[in-house]
Amino acid sequence: MRNLLNFLARYNNLIIFLVLQGIAVYLLSTGNNYHNSRFVKGFRSLTAGIEKRVSTINSYFQLRDISQLLARENAALRTSIERLSASSDQLFFSVTDTVHFQQYTFTSAQVVNNTLNRQKNFITINKGSLQGMKVDMAVISGDCVAGVIVGCSKNYSVAMPLINPDFRLSARLRKNGYFGSLSWDGSDVRHVTLNEIPQHVTFGVGDTVETTGYSAIFPEGIMIGTISDFEKSGGDFYKIRIALGADFRKLSYVTVIGNLRKEEQLELENQFQ
Amino acid sequence: MINRILRYGLIFILLFLLQVLLFNNIKFSGYVNPYIYIMFILLLPAEIPSWLLLILSFFTGLTMDLFSGTPGMHTSATVMAGFIRPYTLRIISPRDGYEPGTDPSMMVYGLKWFLIYSSLIVIVHHLTLFYLEVFRLTDFFSTLLRVILSSLFTVAFIILLEYIRKGK
Repeated sequence: MRNLLNFLARYNNLIIFLVLQGIAVYLLSTGNNYHNSRFVKGFRSLTAGIEKRVSTINSYFQLRDISQLLARENAALRTSIERLSASSDQLFFSVTDTVHFQQYTFTSAQVVNNTLNRQKNFITINKGSLQGMKVDMAVISGDCVAGVIVGCSKNYSVAMPLINPDFRLSARLRKNGYFGSLSWDGSDVRHVTLNEIPQHVTFGVGDTVETTGYSAIFPEGIMIGTISDFEKSGGDFYKIRIALGADFRKLSYVTVIGNLRKEEQLELENQFQ
Repeated sequence: MINRILRYGLIFILLFLLQVLLFNNIKFSGYVNPYIYIMFILLLPAEIPSWLLLILSFFTGLTMDLFSGTPGMHTSATVMAGFIRPYTLRIISPRDGYEPGTDPSMMVYGLKWFLIYSSLIVIVHHLTLFYLEVFRLTDFFSTLLRVILSSLFTVAFIILLEYIRKGK
Protein backbone atom coordinates (compact mmCIF):
# COMPACT_ATOMS: atom_id res chain seq x y z
CA MET A 1 0.00 0.00 0.00
CA ARG A 2 2.79 2.38 0.92
CA ASN A 3 4.60 1.45 -2.24
CA LEU A 4 1.50 2.23 -4.20
CA LEU A 5 1.17 5.63 -2.54
CA ASN A 6 4.84 6.33 -3.14
CA PHE A 7 4.38 5.37 -6.74
CA LEU A 8 1.36 7.66 -7.08
CA ALA A 9 3.16 10.54 -5.36
CA ARG A 10 6.18 10.10 -7.53
CA TYR A 11 4.38 9.86 -10.83
CA ASN A 12 1.39 12.06 -10.03
CA ASN A 13 2.29 14.49 -12.82
CA LEU A 14 2.51 11.77 -15.37
CA ILE A 15 -0.76 10.28 -14.17
CA ILE A 16 -2.61 13.60 -14.30
CA PHE A 17 -1.09 14.25 -17.69
CA LEU A 18 -2.21 10.88 -19.02
CA VAL A 19 -5.70 11.31 -17.59
CA LEU A 20 -6.14 14.78 -19.07
CA GLN A 21 -4.62 13.71 -22.37
CA GLY A 22 -6.96 10.74 -22.35
CA ILE A 23 -9.95 13.04 -21.91
CA ALA A 24 -8.66 15.22 -24.74
CA VAL A 25 -8.22 12.27 -27.06
CA TYR A 26 -11.65 11.00 -26.09
CA LEU A 27 -13.14 14.40 -26.95
CA LEU A 28 -11.15 14.40 -30.16
CA SER A 29 -12.34 10.99 -31.23
CA THR A 30 -16.00 11.45 -30.33
CA GLY A 31 -16.41 15.12 -31.19
CA ASN A 32 -14.96 15.14 -34.68
CA ASN A 33 -16.31 12.92 -37.41
CA TYR A 34 -13.04 12.93 -39.29
CA HIS A 35 -10.95 11.96 -36.29
CA ASN A 36 -13.50 9.42 -35.23
CA SER A 37 -13.36 7.62 -38.55
CA ARG A 38 -9.57 7.74 -38.53
CA PHE A 39 -9.53 6.24 -35.05
CA VAL A 40 -11.89 3.46 -35.98
CA LYS A 41 -9.90 2.72 -39.11
CA GLY A 42 -6.65 2.68 -37.16
CA PHE A 43 -7.95 0.29 -34.55
CA ARG A 44 -9.41 -1.93 -37.23
CA SER A 45 -6.14 -2.32 -39.04
CA LEU A 46 -4.40 -2.94 -35.73
CA THR A 47 -6.78 -5.65 -34.61
CA ALA A 48 -7.40 -7.14 -38.04
CA GLY A 49 -4.01 -8.82 -38.12
CA ILE A 50 -4.48 -10.39 -34.72
CA GLU A 51 -8.03 -11.46 -35.46
CA LYS A 52 -6.95 -13.06 -38.70
CA ARG A 53 -4.32 -15.12 -36.91
CA VAL A 54 -6.76 -16.16 -34.18
CA SER A 55 -9.39 -17.20 -36.70
CA THR A 56 -6.81 -19.23 -38.64
CA ILE A 57 -5.99 -21.15 -35.49
CA ASN A 58 -9.67 -21.52 -34.64
CA SER A 59 -10.48 -22.87 -38.06
CA TYR A 60 -7.79 -25.46 -37.60
CA PHE A 61 -9.46 -26.69 -34.45
CA GLN A 62 -12.82 -26.75 -36.20
CA LEU A 63 -11.56 -28.95 -39.03
CA ARG A 64 -12.97 -32.07 -37.41
CA ASP A 65 -16.46 -30.60 -37.17
CA ILE A 66 -16.23 -29.21 -40.66
CA SER A 67 -15.20 -32.49 -42.22
CA GLN A 68 -17.99 -34.24 -40.35
CA LEU A 69 -20.44 -31.71 -41.69
CA LEU A 70 -19.13 -32.14 -45.22
CA ALA A 71 -19.36 -35.91 -44.99
CA ARG A 72 -22.98 -35.63 -43.84
CA GLU A 73 -23.73 -33.18 -46.59
CA ASN A 74 -22.14 -35.49 -49.16
CA ALA A 75 -24.33 -38.33 -48.01
CA ALA A 76 -27.44 -36.16 -48.27
CA LEU A 77 -26.46 -35.02 -51.74
CA ARG A 78 -25.85 -38.58 -52.85
CA THR A 79 -29.25 -39.55 -51.57
CA SER A 80 -30.88 -36.82 -53.56
CA ILE A 81 -28.85 -37.61 -56.69
CA GLU A 82 -29.94 -41.20 -56.41
CA ARG A 83 -33.53 -40.11 -55.99
CA LEU A 84 -33.41 -37.81 -58.98
CA SER A 85 -31.59 -40.15 -61.35
CA ALA A 86 -33.85 -43.03 -60.44
CA SER A 87 -37.01 -41.07 -61.02
CA SER A 88 -35.94 -39.54 -64.31
CA ASP A 89 -36.26 -42.77 -66.27
CA GLN A 90 -39.78 -43.47 -65.11
CA LEU A 91 -42.75 -42.12 -66.96
CA PHE A 92 -45.28 -42.15 -64.18
CA PHE A 93 -44.62 -41.66 -60.53
CA SER A 94 -46.25 -40.19 -57.51
CA VAL A 95 -44.70 -36.88 -56.59
CA THR A 96 -45.50 -37.07 -52.94
CA ASP A 97 -43.84 -40.42 -52.36
CA THR A 98 -40.28 -39.27 -52.33
CA VAL A 99 -38.65 -42.59 -51.54
CA HIS A 100 -40.60 -44.66 -54.03
CA PHE A 101 -37.96 -44.71 -56.74
CA GLN A 102 -35.05 -44.37 -54.47
CA GLN A 103 -33.04 -47.52 -54.38
CA TYR A 104 -30.07 -46.56 -52.28
CA THR A 105 -29.62 -44.60 -49.06
CA PHE A 106 -26.35 -42.98 -48.07
CA THR A 107 -25.21 -42.36 -44.51
CA SER A 108 -21.88 -41.02 -43.43
CA ALA A 109 -20.04 -42.58 -40.52
CA GLN A 110 -16.76 -42.20 -38.79
CA VAL A 111 -14.29 -45.01 -38.46
CA VAL A 112 -13.56 -45.56 -34.78
CA ASN A 113 -11.43 -48.67 -35.07
CA ASN A 114 -9.58 -50.18 -37.95
CA THR A 115 -7.26 -53.16 -38.08
CA LEU A 116 -4.75 -53.67 -40.83
CA ASN A 117 -2.11 -56.08 -39.67
CA ARG A 118 -4.22 -59.19 -39.16
CA GLN A 119 -5.52 -61.64 -41.68
CA LYS A 120 -9.14 -61.14 -40.72
CA ASN A 121 -9.31 -57.38 -40.58
CA PHE A 122 -12.35 -55.46 -39.47
CA ILE A 123 -13.49 -51.84 -39.41
CA THR A 124 -15.65 -50.42 -36.62
CA ILE A 125 -17.82 -47.42 -37.42
CA ASN A 126 -19.78 -45.16 -35.09
CA LYS A 127 -23.28 -45.81 -36.44
CA GLY A 128 -25.43 -48.75 -35.44
CA SER A 129 -28.91 -50.14 -35.71
CA LEU A 130 -30.36 -47.04 -34.04
CA GLN A 131 -29.01 -45.00 -36.92
CA GLY A 132 -30.44 -47.40 -39.49
CA MET A 133 -27.44 -49.61 -40.08
CA LYS A 134 -28.12 -53.20 -41.09
CA VAL A 135 -26.05 -56.24 -41.89
CA ASP A 136 -25.01 -56.47 -45.56
CA MET A 137 -24.95 -52.76 -46.20
CA ALA A 138 -22.12 -51.54 -48.39
CA VAL A 139 -19.33 -49.35 -47.04
CA ILE A 140 -17.44 -47.03 -49.35
CA SER A 141 -14.64 -44.60 -48.68
CA GLY A 142 -14.67 -41.60 -50.95
CA ASP A 143 -15.70 -43.11 -54.27
CA CYS A 144 -14.17 -46.50 -53.68
CA VAL A 145 -15.38 -49.76 -52.20
CA ALA A 146 -14.25 -50.34 -48.61
CA GLY A 147 -16.28 -53.26 -47.29
CA VAL A 148 -19.57 -54.68 -46.12
CA ILE A 149 -21.25 -54.44 -42.73
CA VAL A 150 -21.30 -57.78 -40.98
CA GLY A 151 -22.65 -56.90 -37.55
CA CYS A 152 -24.48 -54.09 -35.78
CA SER A 153 -24.95 -53.08 -32.18
CA LYS A 154 -27.14 -50.15 -31.14
CA ASN A 155 -24.59 -47.49 -31.91
CA TYR A 156 -21.73 -49.27 -33.62
CA SER A 157 -21.29 -51.47 -36.62
CA VAL A 158 -18.50 -53.74 -37.71
CA ALA A 159 -17.65 -53.96 -41.36
CA MET A 160 -15.58 -56.52 -43.16
CA PRO A 161 -13.18 -54.67 -45.43
CA LEU A 162 -11.87 -55.76 -48.79
CA ILE A 163 -8.69 -56.78 -47.02
CA ASN A 164 -10.22 -59.80 -45.31
CA PRO A 165 -9.84 -63.26 -46.83
CA ASP A 166 -13.52 -63.99 -46.24
CA PHE A 167 -14.58 -61.07 -48.38
CA ARG A 168 -16.04 -61.98 -51.73
CA LEU A 169 -17.29 -59.55 -54.30
CA SER A 170 -18.10 -59.76 -57.95
CA ALA A 171 -16.23 -57.13 -59.91
CA ARG A 172 -15.97 -56.19 -63.53
CA LEU A 173 -13.74 -54.29 -65.90
CA ARG A 174 -15.30 -50.95 -66.58
CA LYS A 175 -13.97 -50.98 -70.14
CA ASN A 176 -15.75 -54.07 -71.45
CA GLY A 177 -17.95 -55.39 -68.64
CA TYR A 178 -16.33 -58.80 -68.14
CA PHE A 179 -16.69 -59.78 -64.54
CA GLY A 180 -14.91 -62.02 -62.12
CA SER A 181 -14.68 -62.62 -58.42
CA LEU A 182 -12.57 -60.53 -56.10
CA SER A 183 -10.66 -61.75 -53.07
CA TRP A 184 -7.71 -60.86 -50.90
CA ASP A 185 -4.71 -63.13 -50.60
CA GLY A 186 -3.71 -61.75 -47.23
CA SER A 187 -0.35 -60.34 -48.22
CA ASP A 188 -0.64 -56.66 -49.03
CA VAL A 189 -3.21 -54.18 -47.73
CA ARG A 190 -2.99 -52.18 -50.92
CA HIS A 191 -3.78 -54.91 -53.39
CA VAL A 192 -6.51 -57.48 -54.01
CA THR A 193 -6.85 -60.18 -56.64
CA LEU A 194 -9.45 -60.51 -59.35
CA ASN A 195 -9.92 -64.03 -60.74
CA GLU A 196 -12.02 -65.66 -63.41
CA ILE A 197 -11.44 -63.15 -66.19
CA PRO A 198 -11.19 -65.23 -69.37
CA GLN A 199 -7.97 -65.08 -71.35
CA HIS A 200 -9.52 -63.79 -74.53
CA VAL A 201 -10.43 -60.52 -72.87
CA THR A 202 -8.09 -57.64 -73.61
CA PHE A 203 -7.20 -55.08 -70.96
CA GLY A 204 -4.18 -53.18 -69.79
CA VAL A 205 -2.46 -51.98 -66.68
CA GLY A 206 -4.34 -48.99 -65.24
CA ASP A 207 -7.81 -50.09 -66.33
CA THR A 208 -10.52 -49.45 -63.80
CA VAL A 209 -12.27 -52.25 -61.96
CA GLU A 210 -15.74 -51.57 -60.54
CA THR A 211 -18.64 -53.29 -58.82
CA THR A 212 -21.29 -55.14 -60.77
CA GLY A 213 -24.43 -54.70 -58.73
CA TYR A 214 -25.28 -58.39 -58.97
CA SER A 215 -24.96 -58.92 -55.25
CA ALA A 216 -27.70 -56.43 -54.27
CA ILE A 217 -25.23 -54.98 -51.79
CA PHE A 218 -23.20 -52.52 -53.83
CA PRO A 219 -24.72 -50.21 -56.38
CA GLU A 220 -23.47 -50.75 -59.86
CA GLY A 221 -20.30 -49.02 -61.04
CA ILE A 222 -18.52 -48.12 -57.84
CA MET A 223 -14.78 -48.11 -58.31
CA ILE A 224 -12.69 -50.74 -56.58
CA GLY A 225 -9.26 -49.92 -57.97
CA THR A 226 -7.05 -50.12 -61.02
CA ILE A 227 -5.17 -53.00 -62.53
CA SER A 228 -1.53 -52.99 -61.45
CA ASP A 229 -0.39 -56.24 -63.09
CA PHE A 230 -1.74 -59.59 -64.25
CA GLU A 231 -0.62 -63.10 -65.08
CA LYS A 232 -2.13 -66.21 -66.60
CA SER A 233 -3.12 -68.70 -63.99
CA GLY A 234 -3.71 -72.25 -65.13
CA GLY A 235 -6.83 -73.02 -67.15
CA ASP A 236 -8.23 -70.21 -69.17
CA PHE A 237 -8.19 -67.37 -66.71
CA TYR A 238 -6.15 -64.38 -65.75
CA LYS A 239 -5.11 -63.62 -62.22
CA ILE A 240 -5.23 -59.84 -61.96
CA ARG A 241 -3.71 -57.80 -59.18
CA ILE A 242 -5.69 -54.67 -58.40
CA ALA A 243 -4.36 -51.59 -56.64
CA LEU A 244 -7.15 -50.55 -54.28
CA GLY A 245 -8.73 -47.14 -54.67
CA ALA A 246 -9.49 -46.91 -50.97
CA ASP A 247 -6.49 -46.48 -48.71
CA PHE A 248 -7.22 -48.53 -45.60
CA ARG A 249 -4.24 -47.11 -43.78
CA LYS A 250 -5.88 -43.72 -43.45
CA LEU A 251 -9.56 -44.51 -43.38
CA SER A 252 -11.45 -41.86 -41.38
CA TYR A 253 -14.88 -41.22 -42.86
CA VAL A 254 -16.91 -43.73 -44.80
CA THR A 255 -20.29 -43.71 -46.43
CA VAL A 256 -22.67 -46.58 -45.76
CA ILE A 257 -24.99 -47.48 -48.58
CA GLY A 258 -28.22 -49.32 -47.97
CA ASN A 259 -30.26 -50.94 -50.72
CA LEU A 260 -33.96 -50.37 -50.12
CA ARG A 261 -34.99 -53.04 -52.63
CA LYS A 262 -32.64 -55.75 -51.49
CA GLU A 263 -35.32 -57.77 -49.67
CA GLU A 264 -37.57 -57.65 -52.67
CA GLN A 265 -34.82 -58.85 -54.97
CA LEU A 266 -33.67 -61.64 -52.65
CA GLU A 267 -37.18 -62.80 -51.98
CA LEU A 268 -37.86 -63.12 -55.66
CA GLU A 269 -34.59 -64.88 -56.30
CA ASN A 270 -35.18 -67.32 -53.46
CA GLN A 271 -38.38 -68.55 -55.06
CA PHE A 272 -36.34 -70.06 -57.87
CA GLN A 273 -33.43 -71.52 -56.00
CA MET B 1 -2.75 35.86 -3.78
CA ILE B 2 -6.21 37.12 -4.78
CA ASN B 3 -4.45 39.89 -6.63
CA ARG B 4 -2.46 37.34 -8.55
CA ILE B 5 -5.49 35.26 -9.48
CA LEU B 6 -7.23 38.36 -10.74
CA ARG B 7 -4.17 39.33 -12.76
CA TYR B 8 -3.96 35.92 -14.41
CA GLY B 9 -7.70 35.99 -14.99
CA LEU B 10 -7.30 39.27 -16.80
CA ILE B 11 -4.37 37.95 -18.87
CA PHE B 12 -6.45 34.91 -19.76
CA ILE B 13 -9.41 36.99 -20.93
CA LEU B 14 -7.26 39.45 -22.86
CA LEU B 15 -5.33 36.67 -24.60
CA PHE B 16 -8.51 34.91 -25.60
CA LEU B 17 -10.08 38.11 -26.89
CA LEU B 18 -6.97 38.71 -29.00
CA GLN B 19 -6.87 35.13 -30.19
CA VAL B 20 -10.53 34.83 -31.12
CA LEU B 21 -11.12 38.30 -32.47
CA LEU B 22 -7.82 38.94 -34.18
CA PHE B 23 -5.49 35.99 -34.66
CA ASN B 24 -8.10 33.43 -35.61
CA ASN B 25 -8.88 35.65 -38.58
CA ILE B 26 -5.36 35.66 -39.94
CA LYS B 27 -5.44 33.32 -42.90
CA PHE B 28 -2.02 33.89 -44.27
CA SER B 29 -1.82 31.65 -47.37
CA GLY B 30 -3.26 28.76 -45.38
CA TYR B 31 0.02 27.99 -43.69
CA VAL B 32 0.09 30.44 -40.83
CA ASN B 33 -2.21 30.19 -37.84
CA PRO B 34 -0.60 31.85 -34.82
CA TYR B 35 -2.01 30.57 -31.55
CA ILE B 36 -0.91 33.19 -29.03
CA TYR B 37 -3.29 32.00 -26.29
CA ILE B 38 -0.53 29.51 -25.37
CA MET B 39 1.18 32.54 -23.80
CA PHE B 40 -1.09 32.06 -20.78
CA ILE B 41 0.66 28.77 -20.02
CA LEU B 42 4.06 30.39 -20.58
CA LEU B 43 3.38 33.18 -18.12
CA LEU B 44 2.09 31.13 -15.17
CA PRO B 45 4.37 31.44 -12.11
CA ALA B 46 7.51 29.34 -12.11
CA GLU B 47 6.75 27.74 -8.75
CA ILE B 48 3.21 26.62 -9.66
CA PRO B 49 2.60 22.95 -8.77
CA SER B 50 2.66 20.67 -11.77
CA TRP B 51 -0.83 19.28 -11.21
CA LEU B 52 -2.34 22.78 -11.13
CA LEU B 53 -0.41 23.68 -14.25
CA LEU B 54 -1.75 20.62 -16.04
CA ILE B 55 -5.33 21.34 -15.01
CA LEU B 56 -5.08 25.00 -16.01
CA SER B 57 -3.61 23.89 -19.35
CA PHE B 58 -6.47 21.52 -19.79
CA PHE B 59 -9.08 24.22 -19.26
CA THR B 60 -7.20 26.68 -21.46
CA GLY B 61 -7.29 24.19 -24.28
CA LEU B 62 -10.91 23.33 -23.59
CA THR B 63 -11.88 27.02 -23.80
CA MET B 64 -10.04 27.34 -27.09
CA ASP B 65 -11.80 24.24 -28.38
CA LEU B 66 -15.15 25.75 -27.46
CA PHE B 67 -14.34 28.83 -29.51
CA SER B 68 -13.01 27.01 -32.54
CA GLY B 69 -15.42 24.05 -32.48
CA THR B 70 -12.73 21.39 -32.49
CA PRO B 71 -13.29 19.24 -29.38
CA GLY B 72 -10.10 17.77 -27.96
CA MET B 73 -7.58 19.17 -30.40
CA HIS B 74 -6.42 22.25 -28.52
CA THR B 75 -6.98 20.49 -25.20
CA SER B 76 -4.56 17.75 -26.12
CA ALA B 77 -1.98 20.24 -27.39
CA THR B 78 -2.15 22.51 -24.33
CA VAL B 79 -2.00 19.58 -21.90
CA MET B 80 1.10 18.47 -23.76
CA ALA B 81 2.56 21.97 -23.47
CA GLY B 82 1.69 22.10 -19.75
CA PHE B 83 3.31 18.73 -19.24
CA ILE B 84 6.65 19.70 -20.78
CA ARG B 85 6.81 23.19 -19.23
CA PRO B 86 8.46 22.10 -15.93
CA TYR B 87 11.08 20.09 -17.83
CA THR B 88 11.74 23.00 -20.17
CA LEU B 89 12.19 25.35 -17.20
CA ARG B 90 14.60 22.88 -15.62
CA ILE B 91 16.69 22.53 -18.75
CA ILE B 92 17.11 26.23 -19.44
CA SER B 93 17.21 27.46 -15.85
CA PRO B 94 19.47 30.48 -15.25
CA ARG B 95 22.71 29.97 -13.36
CA ASP B 96 21.29 31.17 -10.04
CA GLY B 97 17.86 29.50 -10.42
CA TYR B 98 14.46 31.12 -10.54
CA GLU B 99 13.61 33.87 -8.11
CA PRO B 100 10.53 32.92 -6.14
CA GLY B 101 7.43 34.99 -6.79
CA THR B 102 8.31 35.94 -10.36
CA ASP B 103 6.76 35.05 -13.68
CA PRO B 104 8.94 33.33 -16.25
CA SER B 105 8.72 36.42 -18.44
CA MET B 106 11.01 38.46 -20.68
CA MET B 107 11.10 41.33 -18.21
CA VAL B 108 12.69 39.15 -15.53
CA TYR B 109 14.99 36.82 -17.43
CA GLY B 110 15.75 38.66 -20.63
CA LEU B 111 14.94 38.28 -24.33
CA LYS B 112 17.29 35.44 -25.16
CA TRP B 113 16.08 33.21 -22.36
CA PHE B 114 12.44 33.98 -23.08
CA LEU B 115 12.93 33.31 -26.80
CA ILE B 116 14.28 29.81 -26.15
CA TYR B 117 11.67 29.11 -23.51
CA SER B 118 8.68 30.21 -25.59
CA SER B 119 10.01 28.61 -28.79
CA LEU B 120 10.37 25.19 -27.19
CA ILE B 121 6.88 25.16 -25.72
CA VAL B 122 5.22 26.73 -28.76
CA ILE B 123 6.84 24.20 -31.08
CA VAL B 124 5.68 21.28 -28.94
CA HIS B 125 2.19 22.76 -28.76
CA HIS B 126 2.00 23.40 -32.49
CA LEU B 127 3.43 20.02 -33.39
CA THR B 128 0.75 18.28 -31.32
CA LEU B 129 -2.00 20.57 -32.56
CA PHE B 130 -1.27 20.47 -36.27
CA TYR B 131 -0.58 16.76 -36.45
CA LEU B 132 -3.74 16.06 -34.48
CA GLU B 133 -5.63 18.25 -36.91
CA VAL B 134 -4.31 16.43 -39.96
CA PHE B 135 -4.23 13.05 -38.18
CA ARG B 136 -2.31 11.16 -40.80
CA LEU B 137 1.28 10.94 -41.86
CA THR B 138 0.80 11.22 -45.62
CA ASP B 139 1.11 15.01 -45.60
CA PHE B 140 3.97 14.87 -43.14
CA PHE B 141 6.20 17.54 -44.63
CA SER B 142 3.58 20.07 -45.60
CA THR B 143 2.25 19.79 -42.04
CA LEU B 144 5.76 20.25 -40.70
CA LEU B 145 6.12 23.39 -42.80
CA ARG B 146 2.87 24.71 -41.33
CA VAL B 147 4.11 23.89 -37.83
CA ILE B 148 7.38 25.76 -38.38
CA LEU B 149 5.84 28.84 -40.01
CA SER B 150 3.03 29.09 -37.47
CA SER B 151 5.47 28.64 -34.59
CA LEU B 152 7.63 31.46 -35.96
CA PHE B 153 4.66 33.79 -36.13
CA THR B 154 3.32 32.75 -32.74
CA VAL B 155 6.70 33.30 -31.07
CA ALA B 156 7.07 36.64 -32.86
CA PHE B 157 3.65 37.82 -31.67
CA ILE B 158 4.33 36.60 -28.14
CA ILE B 159 7.61 38.53 -28.01
CA LEU B 160 5.76 41.55 -29.38
CA LEU B 161 3.12 41.23 -26.66
CA GLU B 162 5.86 40.96 -24.05
CA TYR B 163 7.38 44.21 -25.33
CA ILE B 164 3.95 45.87 -25.10
CA ARG B 165 3.57 44.56 -21.54
CA LYS B 166 7.05 45.80 -20.69
CA GLY B 167 6.35 49.22 -22.12
CA LYS B 168 3.27 49.72 -19.98
